[in-house]
Amino acid sequence: MRSGSSKPRLPDAAARPDTLSRGERTRLALQREIGRLLAVVWAPVAVAVMHFGFGWRILDRERVRRRYREVRAGSDAPLIVCANHLTMLDSAVIASALGSPGWYLRHYSSLPWNMPEWRNFGSSRTRRVLVYLMKCVPVIRGGDRRAVARVLARIRHLASRGEVVLIFPEGGRSRSGRVDVGNAAHGVGRLVGSLPGCQVLCVYARGEGQTETTDVPARGERFRLRLSLIEPTSDARGVRRSLDLSRQIVGELGRLEREVLREAA
Amino acid sequence: MSEAQAEVMDRVVKILSPFAKNEAALASVGPDTGILDDLKVNSARLVDAVLSFEDEFDIEIADEDIDGVNTVGDAVRLIEAKIA
Repeated sequence: MRSGSSKPRLPDAAARPDTLSRGERTRLALQREIGRLLAVVWAPVAVAVMHFGFGWRILDRERVRRRYREVRAGSDAPLIVCANHLTMLDSAVIASALGSPGWYLRHYSSLPWNMPEWRNFGSSRTRRVLVYLMKCVPVIRGGDRRAVARVLARIRHLASRGEVVLIFPEGGRSRSGRVDVGNAAHGVGRLVGSLPGCQVLCVYARGEGQTETTDVPARGERFRLRLSLIEPTSDARGVRRSLDLSRQIVGELGRLEREVLREAA
Repeated sequence: MSEAQAEVMDRVVKILSPFAKNEAALASVGPDTGILDDLKVNSARLVDAVLSFEDEFDIEIADEDIDGVNTVGDAVRLIEAKIA
C-alpha cells in the first residue's frame, strides 16, 4: 500500500446505496472485533496521550460519565451521539469524556463509531491503521452522493445493531466557532429518521480557551460538556423530514452552547 | 433534448444558480455539469436546492432519490420522472 496516495476503502458507488452486502457486514464486524481485541492497548494509550501528553482535562467528568451510563442502561433503542465540531480531535475528546478505557473494554458497543473526513486522516498508513482500529468509517464529505449514502448505510447498520455512533450534524467544523444552526447536514436526519425509536444524545463540548475553530485543542485545555437526550420527530416527508430532524438536533446543540457559554461567563 | 426537458433544465439551473460558487461553470452549464464538482454547490446547499425543486415542480423527493443526483442532467431526469 502506498503511503499518502491510497484511495479510502469506501463503498462501491455503483452498488445499491441503501443496503449492505454480506461481505460489507462481515468486514464491519471484523473491524469491530480487531479493534476490540487491540483496544486493551490502544484505548489506554490514546487516553494517556490526551491526559499526559496534551494535558487535557474534562470538567465534572464523573457527572458526564454517569449520565452516559444512565442513557446506555435506560434503553435498547439505537443511539446516535451528535456533537458540535470545533477541532479535528473532538471525537476523541468526547469519547474519553463519556467513558473510561476500562469501562469501554467491558461495554465496547458504547465506544462510539466515527465518520472522519478521509482527507484529514487517510494521508498515511499509520493514520489509516489507527482509524481502522478506532471504530471509524471514513467519508469524503461532498463526494459522490451514492458513496456518501453507502457510508450512511454502514453507520445505520451499526446503529441498528446496538453500536453507538458519533456524528457532527453541522457537517463539518464550525467556521464561526459557534454552532451554526442554519447549517444542519441532511444526512444526520436521514440516519435518525431511518432508525425506528432512535435516540439522539446531543453533546456540546468546548475547551475553556477555545475561542474559534482549530485543528487541535490547546495544551492544558479544560473541556466543559453538556448532554441532552432527545428523540426528534417530524410530520414532514422525504428530504424535508430528514432536514427537519437535523435542524432539531443542531438547534438543541445551539441551546446547549448557550448554557455552556453562560456558565463559563 | 426535448422542449419539455429544456424547460425543466432552465428552471433547475435557475434554482441552482444562487448556490453555485463557480460562475464560469454556470455560464456553460449542461446536462453533464457536476453540481458538486463543477458548480461547486456545497452538499448542504444541494439539499436546499432539492427542497426548492419540490416547491417549484410540486413534487416530493425521497432521501434515496438524491443519492443519484450528481449532475444537472441527473436532477432534470429525477424531476421529469416525478412529474411524469
